Amino acid sequence: MRAPTRLKAAIVAAVRRLSPIKGTQTPIAHKSLMMSFAPPDAAAEPLFALRGVCKTYGQGETAVRALVDVDLDITKGELMVLLGPSGSGKSTLLNILGGLDRATSGQVRFEGELLTALSEHALTLFRRRHVGFIFQFYNLIPSLTARENVELVGEIADDPLSAVEALELVGLGKRIDHFPSQLSGGEQQRVAVARAIAKRPAVLLCDEPTGALDVKTGVRVLEALQEVNERYGSTTMIVTHNADVARMAQRVVRFGDGHVRSVEVNTERVPPSELVW
Amino acid sequence: MRALDKKLFRDVWRMRLHAAGVALVLACGLSVFVMAVGMRGSMERTRADYYAERRMADIAVSLVRAPDRVARALAEAPGVQTVETRIAGYALLDLPGVEEPPSARLVSLPAQGRPRVNDVVITRGRLPDPTHADEILLSQAFANAHALDIGDTLAATLYGRRQTLRIVGIANSPEFVFVSGPGELFRQAERFGVIWMGRDALARAYDLDGAFNDAVFMLGRNANQVETIRAIDRVLDPYGGAGAYGRDRMMSDRFLSEELRQLSTMATFLPAFFLIIAAFLVNIALGRVIATERSNIGLLKAFGYSNAAVAWHYAKSALIFAAIGALLGSFAGVAFGRMVADLYRDYYHFPRLDFVASPATFAGAWAAGFASAIAGCLFSVLRAARLAPAEALTPPRPTAFNTAGKGLAAFAARLDAKSRIILRRIVRFPRRASTTALGVAFAIALLVVARTMPAEMNYLLDVNFGVANRQDVTLTFAEARDVGVLHEVGRLPGVIYAEPFRIDDIVLHHNGRTVHEAVFGVPAEARLSRVIGAAQAPLSPPVAGIALARALAEKLDARVGDEIYLEQTRGRRIGAHVRVTAIVEPMLGSSAYMELGALARLMREPGRISGAHLLMDASDYGAFNQRIKETPGIAGASYVAQAEHSMREEFDQGVGMMNFIYAAFAAVMAGGVAFSAARITLAEQERDLATLRVLGFTRLEVSYVLIGELMALALLAVPAGIALGTVLAIWLMKLFQTDMYSFPFVFHPPGYAFAVAFTLACVLTAALVVRAGIDKLDMIGVLKARD
Repeated sequence: MRAPTRLKAAIVAAVRRLSPIKGTQTPIAHKSLMMSFAPPDAAAEPLFALRGVCKTYGQGETAVRALVDVDLDITKGELMVLLGPSGSGKSTLLNILGGLDRATSGQVRFEGELLTALSEHALTLFRRRHVGFIFQFYNLIPSLTARENVELVGEIADDPLSAVEALELVGLGKRIDHFPSQLSGGEQQRVAVARAIAKRPAVLLCDEPTGALDVKTGVRVLEALQEVNERYGSTTMIVTHNADVARMAQRVVRFGDGHVRSVEVNTERVPPSELVW
Repeated sequence: MRALDKKLFRDVWRMRLHAAGVALVLACGLSVFVMAVGMRGSMERTRADYYAERRMADIAVSLVRAPDRVARALAEAPGVQTVETRIAGYALLDLPGVEEPPSARLVSLPAQGRPRVNDVVITRGRLPDPTHADEILLSQAFANAHALDIGDTLAATLYGRRQTLRIVGIANSPEFVFVSGPGELFRQAERFGVIWMGRDALARAYDLDGAFNDAVFMLGRNANQVETIRAIDRVLDPYGGAGAYGRDRMMSDRFLSEELRQLSTMATFLPAFFLIIAAFLVNIALGRVIATERSNIGLLKAFGYSNAAVAWHYAKSALIFAAIGALLGSFAGVAFGRMVADLYRDYYHFPRLDFVASPATFAGAWAAGFASAIAGCLFSVLRAARLAPAEALTPPRPTAFNTAGKGLAAFAARLDAKSRIILRRIVRFPRRASTTALGVAFAIALLVVARTMPAEMNYLLDVNFGVANRQDVTLTFAEARDVGVLHEVGRLPGVIYAEPFRIDDIVLHHNGRTVHEAVFGVPAEARLSRVIGAAQAPLSPPVAGIALARALAEKLDARVGDEIYLEQTRGRRIGAHVRVTAIVEPMLGSSAYMELGALARLMREPGRISGAHLLMDASDYGAFNQRIKETPGIAGASYVAQAEHSMREEFDQGVGMMNFIYAAFAAVMAGGVAFSAARITLAEQERDLATLRVLGFTRLEVSYVLIGELMALALLAVPAGIALGTVLAIWLMKLFQTDMYSFPFVFHPPGYAFAVAFTLACVLTAALVVRAGIDKLDMIGVLKARD
C-alpha cells in the first residue's frame, strides 16, 4: 500500500503545481498561442519516463510485438502527437501510459513513481486522479445528460471543475441538458473532452479523437483540446494516423512496427483552425 | 444440415446460459404438471381398478337388526345387482403396551367364500377359518403402526365380553382406503383399525344370530341410484335402517375424491406461474439476440430469405429452449411422480399404484412449453420479420434516453450519477424491468403462499385444539344412550367433568337444495367442545334454531333468518322447519349445530346422547383406560392431546418437504430471472461499465451499477410480490377448501419476511455471479469498438 500513498502525495503536489487557482486564468485567445510555440522545457523532470518498454500480445509463433524497446520522456504540459499506421504501437503506448494495460517488460515512471509496479487497484486510482481519456467513439454514458456525464467524473475527483464550466470551455454551454442521443458526433466528442478535463487531469490521453468526425467538427474538438492544454497545462497526447494533426503539436513521435522511429520538435506550430485533412 | 440451421445451433450454444435458465424454469413448471396430471390419472385408474376388482359397494346402509331373510327383499330392490349383508360394529381394543385403547371397525366375512361386495385384499396370511371364532384379518395400516403380524393376538371388548383375537392375515379393502375412528378429527393409523372376522363369531358377540345390521350393494348397469336408495330404505325402515347412501357419502371415497381434486389444482396453479415466467425469460433473451443480430438479419434478407424464413429461424431457437425444458420437465415429472406414487401407495395401502403419465399428459406438457416459448418470442420475432434489410444493415441508433417526467427528473436530480444510470435504464426499458420485477414478485408470492398455508393449518389446529375442543378425551357410544349414563361416565376414574353431545345424520332442505350432513347437538353452556363463530370466537348454540357452517349454508343457499327443513335419515323420516340463527366458521367439517335437547327432541330421542367429552385429571389415566377397555358400548375413545401431537407431527413432516420444494422453485424462478436480467444488463452496458472503469471507478463502484439495477427492481417487486402472494394465498385457500377443512386467511409476518429475504438473497446471488464479468471487462477492446 506504500506505493499508491506516495504516488498520491506526489500527484497531489503535481496537480497543485499544474492547476492554477480557479478564476485567475485569462480566457484563451489566438494571440496567446504564439507563446506555446516555444519548445518544451527539456530540463524539467519528465512527467512520464519510459525505459526499454516492450509489449507482446500472445505467445510463441502467434506472438505480436506491439511495442519494442521504447525509450521516451514526456514533459509536463507538452502537447504531443503520436503518429503511425494502424498496428504501429501508438495506441498500445497510450493504454500503458493511462494504466489500462501493462508493459510486458521495461519501466514506466509517472513523476518518478514506477507505474509498472502498481496493483490493479492502484492503477484505477491513478486513472481516477490523474488521467483524462478521450476515445474515437466518445464513450459517453447514454443514460446520462451532457452535464451528468461530466458530473460523473466530478464525483470521484478531488477538486473538479464544475460541469457547466467544463462544458462552456468546449463551447457546449447551451446543450448541457441533452442526452448523447440528442447530440451530434462532434458535440458528443466535445462532451467527452469536457468530461476528461473536469478533473483537471495531469495528462489527457486522446485516442483518435477526430477519427469519427468530419474536418469541421474535428477542428473544433482539437481546438478544445489545445485550449485545455494551454489553460490547465495538462500534458496532452493525441494518437492519430492523420499526419496533418501533427502540425499542432509541440513534439511529434512517429511509430512503426512497435518502434519509435523518430521524435521531432515542431518549430512552426499551426493552430487547429488552419489544419486541413 | 443447412447453413442457417448450423447458425441456429451455434446461436443456441452461445445463449446456452439463457437457454438453461428458460429450460430450468419450464422444467420446474412442467415437472409439476406431469406429476400432478399423471398422478391424478394414475390414482383414478388405480381407484377404478381397485374398486372393480374388489367389487366396491355403490350403496351402503346400516340398521339396527334385520333377519337374514330380508336380504332377499334387498336383492330384489330395483337396480341392485349384488347385495352383501353383514354384521358390523365398533369396539375398543386392548393392545399390550398401549395405554389408550384404540378402536376398531369390526366387519363380518361371509360364512362361505369371499365377500361378494367390498372384498378384501389379503397381503399376508389367509382368510379366517369359519370354525375358529377367534381368527381375524387386520387392516394393514393399523398392523404396521403397532408392528402386529400374523400369529399375534389382541383383546377386544365386544358387547361387554372380552375376547382374545388372533391375527391370521393382514388385509386391505377399497371400503377403507382412508379411515378415521369415531370421534377422531383426523386420520391416525395407530388409533383406528379394521378387523374382519367370521360372521358367526361376530353374530354371537353382537347377539345377531340369523340377523344382520349392515348391508352393502353393487348396482346393475343403468340403475337409478336415487330410486334404489329409496327402495332399500323402504325395505329396511321396519328394521331401524339409518338411511342408505351412495359413494359420495362414504368417507373413504369422499376423501380420495378430495385428494384427486387437489392434484388438479396443483396441476394448474404452479405450472402456470412457471410458464409465464419462462415466456418472459424467452422474451428478454430473444429480444437481446435480435438486437445484436440486426446486421445478420439485414444480410439474410439481402440474400433473399423471406421475412417468414427469418422469423422462423429465430423462433426456432425459442422452441429449442422449450424442447429442452419440456424434456427435462418430463423426466423430472416422471421421477417426481414415482416418488409421490410410492408415498401414496404406502399411505393408502393400494394393492398397487404405478405412476403412469399418459401420452396426452406429455403432449399437454410439451404443448404448454412450446406455447410459453412462442408467446415469449412472438414480439421479438415479429420485429425481426419487420426489419427492413437496408435499415438492418446500418448501425443502430444510440439508445435514446430522456428524463421521463418532471417528478422523476426531480427525483433523479437528487441521486448520484451511478444511481441515475440505474433509474434511467429502468424507465427506458420498462418491459425488461417489469419482467425482472415480475419474476421476483412471483418468487416472493410463491414463498408467501408456501409459508402462509402451514400457518393457516397451524392456526386451524390452534383454534381446534385450543378454543373449540378443550376436552381431554371424547367417548363415543356405539349407539345413543340415555343422558343418565353421564353419571356413570362421571364416576369413571379421573373424570373431572363430563359434557354430553349428540351427533346425527340429517337431511337439510332449502330453496330446492338438499344436503346430507351431520348435526351436532351441543349443550347450551358448553365448556369443553364449543361452536366457533365469527373471528374464531366460541358461540353459544342457538336455543331455538340451527347454526350452519358457512360451507353448508352456501350449499343450501341459506342465510341467517331463513327457515330450512330438517329430515331424519331413518325411521319415519320425521321432519321439522328450523330457523337459521347463525352462520359459523368451524374450519373442520361443514356441519350444523343445535342445542343438544332441541336436536334430541327433533330426532324423537329426547334425553339421549351419542357420547361425552371429558375433562380429566392427568394422574388417573391408567385406571380410566383400564376401565373403559372393559366397558361395553363404547365405540371409540379419542385422546385430544395425542391426536394433536400426531396431527402436528405428520403435518410438520409434510410442511418440511413442501417448504423445501417451494424454496427450490422460488430460487429457480428468482435466480433465473435475475441471472438472465443481469447477464443482459452486463452485455448491454459492457461499454458503459468499461468506460466507468477507464474513468477511474473501482470495480466495487462499477458493480453497483449492475447489482443496483437488479436490487432496485427486486425491491420494487417486494410490494407486488407480497400483494400477489396474499391474493394467491386467499384464492388457494378457497380452492383447497373442502367439506372437511376450511381455512381462514392467516397473516403470518415471519412467512412474509422469509419470502422477501430469501428471494432477495437469490437475486443478489445471481447478480454477484454475473458481476464477476466486470472483473473481466476488456477496457481496451470495448472502447476501441463502435457500438
